[in-house]
Amino acid sequence: MSPGMSLYSVNAILILSIEDGSRIFTKYYTPPHHAAQPGAAAAATAPPASSSQNPYPDKTAQTRFEKALLQKTAKQTGDILLFDNRIVLYKMESDVALYVVGSLEDNEILLYNVLLALRDSLHLLFKQSVDKRTIIENYDLVSLAIDEICDDGVVLETDPTIIVQRCSKAPSQDVNLGRIDPFSEQGVNNLAQLGKAKLTDWLRQGL
Amino acid sequence: MSYGKKDEDADSGLVKIDRTQVFQEARLFNSSPIQPRRCRVLLTKIALLLYTGEKFPTTEATTLFFGISKLFQNKDVGLRQMVHLVIKELASSAEDIIMVTSTIMKDTGGSTDSIYRPNAIRALCRIIDATTVQSIERVMKTAIVDKNPSVSSSALVSSYHLLPIARDVVKRWQSETQEAAASTKSSGGFSLGFSSSSGNLPVNNSTMTQYHAIGLLYQMRMHDRMALVKMVQQFGAAGAMKNPAAIVMLVRLAAQLAEEDPQLRKPMMQLLDGWLRHKSEMVNFEAAKAICDMRDVTDDEVTQAVHVLQLFLSSPRAVTKFAALRILHTIASFKPHVVNVCNPDIELLISNSNRSIATFAITTLLKTGNEASVDRLMKQISGFMSEITDEFKITIVEAIRTLCLKFPSKQAGMLQFLSGILRDEGGYEFKRAVVESMFDLIKFVPDSKEEALAHLCEFIEDCEFTKLAVRILHLLGVEGPKTSQPTKYIRYIYNRVVLENAIVRAAAVTALAKFGVGQKDPEVKRSVDVLLTRCLDDVDDEVRDRAALNLRLMHEEDELAARFVKNDNMFALPFFEHQLVMYVTSDDKSAFETPFDISKIPVVTREQADAEDRTKKLTATIPSLKPPKVGPTKTAPSSADAAASASAAAQKYAQELMQIPEMNEFGSVLKSSPPVELTEAETEYVVSVVKHIFKEHIVLQYEIKNTLPATILENVSVMATPSDEEELEEVFIIQAETLQTDVPGKVYVAFRKVNGGSSLPVCTFSNVLKFTSKEIDPTTNEPEEGGYEDEYEVSDFDLSGSDYVIPTFASNFAHVWEQVGAQPQAEEAEETLQLSGMKSIPEATEQLAKTLSLQPLEGTDVPVNQTTHTLKLLGKTVNGGRVVANVRMAYSSKTGVTTKITVRSEEEGVAALVVASVA
Repeated sequence: MSPGMSLYSVNAILILSIEDGSRIFTKYYTPPHHAAQPGAAAAATAPPASSSQNPYPDKTAQTRFEKALLQKTAKQTGDILLFDNRIVLYKMESDVALYVVGSLEDNEILLYNVLLALRDSLHLLFKQSVDKRTIIENYDLVSLAIDEICDDGVVLETDPTIIVQRCSKAPSQDVNLGRIDPFSEQGVNNLAQLGKAKLTDWLRQGL
Repeated sequence: MSYGKKDEDADSGLVKIDRTQVFQEARLFNSSPIQPRRCRVLLTKIALLLYTGEKFPTTEATTLFFGISKLFQNKDVGLRQMVHLVIKELASSAEDIIMVTSTIMKDTGGSTDSIYRPNAIRALCRIIDATTVQSIERVMKTAIVDKNPSVSSSALVSSYHLLPIARDVVKRWQSETQEAAASTKSSGGFSLGFSSSSGNLPVNNSTMTQYHAIGLLYQMRMHDRMALVKMVQQFGAAGAMKNPAAIVMLVRLAAQLAEEDPQLRKPMMQLLDGWLRHKSEMVNFEAAKAICDMRDVTDDEVTQAVHVLQLFLSSPRAVTKFAALRILHTIASFKPHVVNVCNPDIELLISNSNRSIATFAITTLLKTGNEASVDRLMKQISGFMSEITDEFKITIVEAIRTLCLKFPSKQAGMLQFLSGILRDEGGYEFKRAVVESMFDLIKFVPDSKEEALAHLCEFIEDCEFTKLAVRILHLLGVEGPKTSQPTKYIRYIYNRVVLENAIVRAAAVTALAKFGVGQKDPEVKRSVDVLLTRCLDDVDDEVRDRAALNLRLMHEEDELAARFVKNDNMFALPFFEHQLVMYVTSDDKSAFETPFDISKIPVVTREQADAEDRTKKLTATIPSLKPPKVGPTKTAPSSADAAASASAAAQKYAQELMQIPEMNEFGSVLKSSPPVELTEAETEYVVSVVKHIFKEHIVLQYEIKNTLPATILENVSVMATPSDEEELEEVFIIQAETLQTDVPGKVYVAFRKVNGGSSLPVCTFSNVLKFTSKEIDPTTNEPEEGGYEDEYEVSDFDLSGSDYVIPTFASNFAHVWEQVGAQPQAEEAEETLQLSGMKSIPEATEQLAKTLSLQPLEGTDVPVNQTTHTLKLLGKTVNGGRVVANVRMAYSSKTGVTTKITVRSEEEGVAALVVASVA
């Protein structure tokens, strides 16, 4: 397929810690099914290394790239640079660095929109400051949001409000005997429900 | 929002989570009843592991995968969305994932309007394999046309992912995709899954669906040109597409169509031109990029794009500036005059805090810059030089070197700048770049020599890099004795002998000797003698040895000593290197039985090496961050590459000719011309010729290719008839025995110069190909018996004066011009020509230098003025006499380029011959 007409435009989305360069979120995109042969069951676990598209197939290559990238961008502000034959868009948010990596031929503005979508969604999600601690504490929301922004290299959505709407909140407190707080109203209700369920079970077993 | 105890200390949060521990905890998935909140925490942990590079082994992944699939029993949306996400991520490493297809399918159905439906669709296409794609066809079709953009987008993208394994099935969804692309309506009352707050949420009216639909439609129709054209026209109409990213796709498609079909170029250009004024930047850039990548783009078309880009240069956003500059940079490399108008805007960007932008700005300016703007540019650069890193400084220094070579008249300012930064702090690489730039100035810009040497002398007084000091000392040794005041440099050099380490001392001794050997002035000679004698007491062996040897050479003045110390010849290094590598890496053991024979390496004079070096530096070292573009581009190979390949070709020819025993007695090749095409490339037999000049012989090497299928040519020879048979006498023809289809063969025709080695015969050759043509029997693949004899006439070509001339470099043209004029045998010839075919001065300059086979001097190969230009050229005949040419050109749009060529030569008759080669 013509490289220019491909929808696969994002190579990677990274969130790194500025302090020590450790990974917070790293996702290198490879188009799915490209490695798998037609006919062969998808169960035949194709090693990700066989995908020719991803230039950073293993963890060592990836971390080397991330280290070098962080070094290059740590003291600069400027949102964009060419690095390792790739366009890298970046933003620093307190103690984390957000990166969007794309191929050289791609539209800079489209990639920049992806980066802005990422940054603005995080701001909308957390309301307070976006930092390493908040991101890790709300990792489920972050991973859902990024999944809404980019699906295996295809830009899915760049409007932060829509992205944030699409991230579901965590479920309310579990129904669990050990965890029920007997003094809250909810706890009592839960207890009652649980009791009802257990009773039915016993009755069934007894019969 | 805190997840229990997991993240009490966020900083160690990453460390705490461990793969085996999470795997143990995964038993939670099996417990009943399902606890959605705890399960989601655990899923989050798995996601965190996956996203920080942890890999689950296949068995663990499979166990986890099926554990997670149990969570489908729970109805909680928050949990369900997370389940789909983790399933999607685990799909690549787990086994037997196909089993959960039907479970996930339930979530993709049209009846469920829950938040996780898009997630389910995306997960589904990771689970599915080629054989079962058909079973999800109905689901996908309904999803693609769903009124919720998120669902529709997910379905389109998932179909896109499925293309490699199930192109045929996906192709059947074309009408749905078309509908999705065309729909501009936003979704109505879409419940977003927040049961508590769905009332006051804004409506999801994303238009990204169009982008995905266009991308998918292209893949479905990529082999149907008509359909693609229709697609561009339908969706390219104003207002048909709301999404800028979708229009970007259309821009690319339009550019591609215009590239493939010349007939479509005009309508597509119109569309692109319209998109230049689209309201979205993204589209503007893509259109500008497409226009400047277009084949044979005209100045007018590019100017439009440049105007748009110029506006973006003053944008506050770094990304916008970067994108605009990057495209301008590309345009500048093939149409610098168009970008000229932006120069003031670009100059503001060279001190930009974003280094990529600044570098692009500088390199663009270099390409577009003219003599007048150089000073201003230098001033700006020196303003921020102290604030930037070494790496970036090197880029700038290299850029300035190129500028120096381009505009030698500006050397004073640049030299000052270079000496200024040489005194600044900096690492080895940076200093090396500066010193090398100064070397080049000394070599190629003679006016700067004395001053540059003085700066270098000062630099080695306090130079911490041994390597650089040694190189500078060597240069002082070479250049110093030729200057007006050699004693000045002797002092600097001797200081090194006193103060430096052994390596530098040894280099200094050799440099000193160059002042002494062959020195006419007894005073200078005596002082060098004294200094060298002192060096005999040095503590280091090497220094003592060198001093002793050089003293001896100084006292016994003879030819040998002078040649040894002031060697002006050197081996042709690229060829030398190639030969050595061939020798060392030879597989054949017998190759090592004879030692490497250095005498086979051609020797070139320093002047020739300089000439090559200069062209290479001028053309190749325009530094750039931009890596070479992949894919088809129309950029011609740079002239530096061409020069390199030309010298490689010459060596290849020489080697081939050596193989032919009959030609051994001719001696070595003095000059090989570039190949001349004698036929069109599409004819039955493609013929080209290379002219080799030997001392007393001329060999024509015909390269013949038979393009007729199923025929074979035998006993191929060429009847080459010179127009002047008195001067050239045919010696022999070496035939090509057989020529198979598409396998090139060679025929050699040798002539002897009747009037001896020094004559330079000029004539026109008419050529007739003679051969026996045989058809190949298709059944046996053997050529038939008889065949018939045939002749094939190809174009004539000239053996002209320029075939005897080799480009040579000298730093001072006026000097050479007078010198040659003063020779007793000298001759001058003049010719005024009207070159109506040339459309510009630069084109004429390039063509003339090439046809005359002479080297442009003093930077005259880069015309500054577009209407008048003086080209100064120098070369040597194969006999060693110099040929100098002064070409004055004037351009007017009516008559084309008018030139007046004046040629002087040291040998009789050569000047007229050379002039005649242009006429």
